[in-house]
Amino acid sequence: MTSYLIRRLLLATLTLLLITFVIYGLIRNMPGNALDAMMAGADPSNEIDPRDYERMAAVYGLDKPWYEAYAHWLGNVLQGDFGQSFKHRQPVLTVIGDRVGPTLMLSGTSLLLTYLLSVPLGLWSAANSGTTRERLAGAALYALYSFPAFVAALFLQLVFAVWLEGTLLELPLIGLVSDNYQELSPLGKAADRLRHLLLPVVCFTYGSLAYFSRFVKSNLEEVLRQDYIRTARAKGVGPVTVVWRHAFRNTLIPFVTLIGLTLPGLLSGSVVLETVFNWPGMGLLLLEGINVRDYPVIMGVTLVFSVLTLAGQLLADLLYAVVDPRVSYD
Amino acid sequence: MSATGLRLGAHARVLLWNLCFVLLAATAGCTGDSPPPTKPDEPAAEATADEAEAVEFKLGDMLEPFDPPKLEELNATAEWVDRPVVDSLAQLLELQASEPEPPTEAEALALKNDTPGANEAIRRAMGRVRIAKNGDFYDDEAGADWDAEIIRYANGDINSTNYVLYNSATEAEVHALCGFGLFSFDAEMKPFAAAESVVSWQTSGNGLIDKVVMRDDLVWSDGEPITAHDVAWSFKLIMSSVVPIPAVRQGMKEIRWIEAYDDQTLVYFYKDSLATNIWSVNFPVIPKHIYEESVAEDPTLTRSEYHVRYEDKPVLGGPYEIADRKRGQEVILKRRESYYLHQGEQVRDRPFFKTVRLKIIPDQSVAMLALRKGDLDELQIFDPRLWVSQTISNEFYRRNTKVQAPQWLTWSFQWNTKGNPFFGDVRVRRAMGLAFDHEELHNNLRFGLDLPGIGTYHPDSPWCPDPTPQPQVQDLAAARKLLRQANWQDTDGDGVLDKDGKPFEFTVICRNEQWRIDICNLLKENLERLGVLVNVQPMEATVLIDKSVNHQFQAAFGGWSTGTDPDTSENIFATDEGRNFGQYTNAEVDRLFAEGKREFDFEKRRKIYQRIHQVLWDECCYTWLFHQNAFYAFNKELRGYNFSPRGPFSFGPGFSSMYRPAAL
Amino acid sequence: MNGPTTDNASRPSAGFWLETWRGFRKRRLAVAALGFVLLLGTLAVASPFIAGVKPIAMSYKERLYFPALGYFARGWERPVQPADDFFGRYDEELFAKDPESWAIWPPIYQDPSRPVYGDQEWPGLERNPQQRNGAPSATNWFGTYKRGTDVFTRMLHGTRVTLLIGFVSTGVAAAIGITVGAVAGYFGSWVDTLLSRLIEVVMCIPALVLVLALLAVIEKPSIWHVMLVLGATGWTGIARLTRAEFLKLKTQDFVTAAQAIGVGRLRIMSRHVLRNALAPILVPITFGIAGAILTESALSFLGLGPADALSWGRLLQAGRASNNEHWWLIVFPGAAIFLTVLAYNLIGEALQEATDPRLKQASH
Repeated sequence: MTSYLIRRLLLATLTLLLITFVIYGLIRNMPGNALDAMMAGADPSNEIDPRDYERMAAVYGLDKPWYEAYAHWLGNVLQGDFGQSFKHRQPVLTVIGDRVGPTLMLSGTSLLLTYLLSVPLGLWSAANSGTTRERLAGAALYALYSFPAFVAALFLQLVFAVWLEGTLLELPLIGLVSDNYQELSPLGKAADRLRHLLLPVVCFTYGSLAYFSRFVKSNLEEVLRQDYIRTARAKGVGPVTVVWRHAFRNTLIPFVTLIGLTLPGLLSGSVVLETVFNWPGMGLLLLEGINVRDYPVIMGVTLVFSVLTLAGQLLADLLYAVVDPRVSYD
Repeated sequence: MSATGLRLGAHARVLLWNLCFVLLAATAGCTGDSPPPTKPDEPAAEATADEAEAVEFKLGDMLEPFDPPKLEELNATAEWVDRPVVDSLAQLLELQASEPEPPTEAEALALKNDTPGANEAIRRAMGRVRIAKNGDFYDDEAGADWDAEIIRYANGDINSTNYVLYNSATEAEVHALCGFGLFSFDAEMKPFAAAESVVSWQTSGNGLIDKVVMRDDLVWSDGEPITAHDVAWSFKLIMSSVVPIPAVRQGMKEIRWIEAYDDQTLVYFYKDSLATNIWSVNFPVIPKHIYEESVAEDPTLTRSEYHVRYEDKPVLGGPYEIADRKRGQEVILKRRESYYLHQGEQVRDRPFFKTVRLKIIPDQSVAMLALRKGDLDELQIFDPRLWVSQTISNEFYRRNTKVQAPQWLTWSFQWNTKGNPFFGDVRVRRAMGLAFDHEELHNNLRFGLDLPGIGTYHPDSPWCPDPTPQPQVQDLAAARKLLRQANWQDTDGDGVLDKDGKPFEFTVICRNEQWRIDICNLLKENLERLGVLVNVQPMEATVLIDKSVNHQFQAAFGGWSTGTDPDTSENIFATDEGRNFGQYTNAEVDRLFAEGKREFDFEKRRKIYQRIHQVLWDECCYTWLFHQNAFYAFNKELRGYNFSPRGPFSFGPGFSSMYRPAAL
Repeated sequence: MNGPTTDNASRPSAGFWLETWRGFRKRRLAVAALGFVLLLGTLAVASPFIAGVKPIAMSYKERLYFPALGYFARGWERPVQPADDFFGRYDEELFAKDPESWAIWPPIYQDPSRPVYGDQEWPGLERNPQQRNGAPSATNWFGTYKRGTDVFTRMLHGTRVTLLIGFVSTGVAAAIGITVGAVAGYFGSWVDTLLSRLIEVVMCIPALVLVLALLAVIEKPSIWHVMLVLGATGWTGIARLTRAEFLKLKTQDFVTAAQAIGVGRLRIMSRHVLRNALAPILVPITFGIAGAILTESALSFLGLGPADALSWGRLLQAGRASNNEHWWLIVFPGAAIFLTVLAYNLIGEALQEATDPRLKQASH
């Protein structure tokens, strides 16, 4: 097990190298660079003298070929220096650090909610498979799934922030906290945050319910068809006990895969929803980074995603061994 | 009580000056640009030498050495001519007093802005600054709410609080309120020295030197006096090669030297005697005593611990200071008491708002909801569709009103005259304009809200010829005829025009915003009727700039907002200039621009630019589409907003005449 | 745990599909859903003949033309001769030049990407209403949008794009994902190690970076490029699941048995293991087909993708841009997307059960 772990970690390091190399090459070869983006940044006064352009390119390290710049970046990262954001003029780690909290708050809550709702939903659907109720519930979930969040978000904002303004149900339009946040009591602060979180979390969550609950259901159904379940049933074990005691544990394998896949989702955020709710999350950070060719930030965010993704994969693989005795890593 | 008005303008001009036309970016358009990264005539060796030298910070190393004469000598020989020192708010008040009384605010606010008459009534009534003059300052009649907060709209965050590093639109707005400046210009874009900073301004008889005497009651937000040395030192700092100055350097290239003779006396020396020199003096000024020592160690001004501290809490010289900043969310500005109080005495107008909150909202639909909800006090409306649909309901008018006013912002298709077989030929360019359905654009994409495009200078500006050119109208038969004259015919019978075996198929690039794509799609639809194929390629701003400055496009849709001087068009239309994306070249235009710069007589200057306008129009260098008005929604509680050709904020007094009356 | 009996798995291929169809047929809802998708497919193919401003067939100056084909590909529209007569529209002006001419028109005279201009085209024709006046009416069943483009016609023609987006992008993703996952899971050892790294690399490249990078580089970005990018980035989940299933199944008796009797690897993988692994993999695939439609609309929200794609998602985005004031831009495309997503998933569910050998066994 230990040797397996060490091997995987080594491999993960190599993979990381490959990923960062590929991404660095990709973004450096996109048309336009940070200086062009600065010029595009809306200010009328921007006109750079060609020699200034070169000087600034040198300051930003844009004058080197991308592979050289990559080596330079890598060297710095190995020494713990992730560089400074061109756009934010702050160290990349600070920029990313600022976004982690809001992102986790949104996607963490949402993922938790998704699991809490979709697992029982999936179990319920499996137990009621084929009934009209179950079909209707399924159709309702698909309806949610097929309605894009960016449209739904605006509807919810219109209803809760504008139409219901002045009522108890009023919710804030955008942002993390209210303007008067500082003046609120600790309890008031918590309530304020919660109120701001509500609409984004709903929009973040509703679409994925269908997918997750279907996933749980189909895996469960597969297990329910196995011989040993039939045996258990034949021996007179009740349906609830069958589902819970015998079947559910065996659906864990694909579910573990899914958890591995969603771990990076914790920090990837959602570009669309963050834009709509003006939520300072990682998705928006990445999009802005790409838009203005802020290479250090793009690389920083990519690195964070990649590490989480790889960790998720590793975790999933290790969990296989835990939940499925047939899998072992010796 | 006396009062005020921040001469916002005084600072705002930075945004507008040195600059030039903008391919309007965040908001409107396709954005500014930079000249190509490399110039063929710059040998690589020189670049390397530059780099080596660039490592070491040396103050003002980009300046030619200059030995300024003694002040006495100067005064003896310069033949000083006095230039205007203006209190822009007082000027506005005088102007308004001379105009007929508009409808009352209550009457105007009861109107819906659905006719030109209603718009005019609202614009005039709400533009009134109801303040009476009282000695040197003003007393407000209605009782301005001195504790008022205004929540302004911003579509992007600020990246730095350091004035010399500014480059985004939001940063320009912030520094218009927080930065220190000496000059401004009014709604007619006439330059003046701002009375809140300047005692006197004189220009030498030969136009080569400007002398400014600054006021002695100016202080930075840390209490240190603002002196001529800060200005002269900031100039040298900007002219230091290792300091990464994004925006302003190019606009200052006509300044040879700035000398501070004492704490108040400042003299600007120019390289040449130009009518446009005055537009180059307004650059960001930062406190010398803060940065003088630290810049050598960290020329980026952002990395060292010391600089990070001042980045978070900058020392500012304007009417407002940055109180708080939530990245990606908002920037909160607070009125600076030490700006208008000096040793306990009020020496300048007191800024009307106690707090200015810039809310960053990237999505326009959401910004519209915020306005309706009262979470925003003003909003610039970019998409005319919003003007005719979402700002007409009673619910909108419950809290807000809206105004439109002419703005010198012109949208067009730009043709790349080189590098493709199509647009080098003036007949083809003219045919493009004739094939385009201008009427459909005006009535159904722009809802009849704009003026038809009749060339590079706005019809209201003095630079537009009289009589004005006639707007183009669609005439497919004439377009086909022109194309045939240019030898574009369908010889192979595939329904697409061709010449020398090459089909007439080109790509038009634009920013990836829906309303722009719609206009390009209309071009595509129209040209297909003639057998010309168009590919519409929307792209991010960054790519668009990259392609534009490198001339890697065939046609582009974009807009230029006006500069403060007609000369700012030179780098768009003169041969090989940085913003001449379409590589248009015309010897007469080049010569006229060079002449216009040197001409001081207004009427003669006017003739020159009118001629340029006419030549560009006749040569169809662009296909001009429309001049876009400024569309703004304001909270009903706001007063005193007036419009210049650059919108309601970026001039003097601009924002500083806006207030919220207490008696509401 | 016992696998299915090997005799079941080693039946000839036709038997497998026939069995699947038999299982599928039992679910009436799924059959209805399949009917719906086939209907959409038919509409997609027939749309130019139902609604358009180009005649299905016409005769002009003694030549025969089929201009409606131009809606499929520009090149299929034979140019009208002499070229001077023709200004891109089959309007009154054109036909007036030849009194002998005739044309067979689609029943609905509307274009998917422009409004009909009224009198300019045919006397007595009304220009489509627009903006707030564009609500559904007898002429414009689903309302109009922007300059007055008929939403029904646009959606009808958009069926082509919408169906393609789902099938092409997910097809690409499934092909790559299943192949990579199957090979990795079945062969294990260094092959698995290598392919797992590949999966990880692709997984770690943010799709946004890839989409932006590719669209910035491509000269004439079309909806096909978007489909390919979505496919090329969307296969990792399928690959991971396939790999996990293969890891689990390859140790089972029926595989060992097949190996023992000398069945080839490829055959074992595709015939024996894949069929048993298909059920869980079908979930991400069906959701992927539906999801691609939604992803495309999200791209349009971000201002990405080709300028003139007729997808349904773009209509939703236009409805949003009106701050939801134009309800018909939300309701009709929204309903169409919902029905399509629902149909895909019902089919997917039924397929999943029909292809599951254990279920077949259980239901015998």
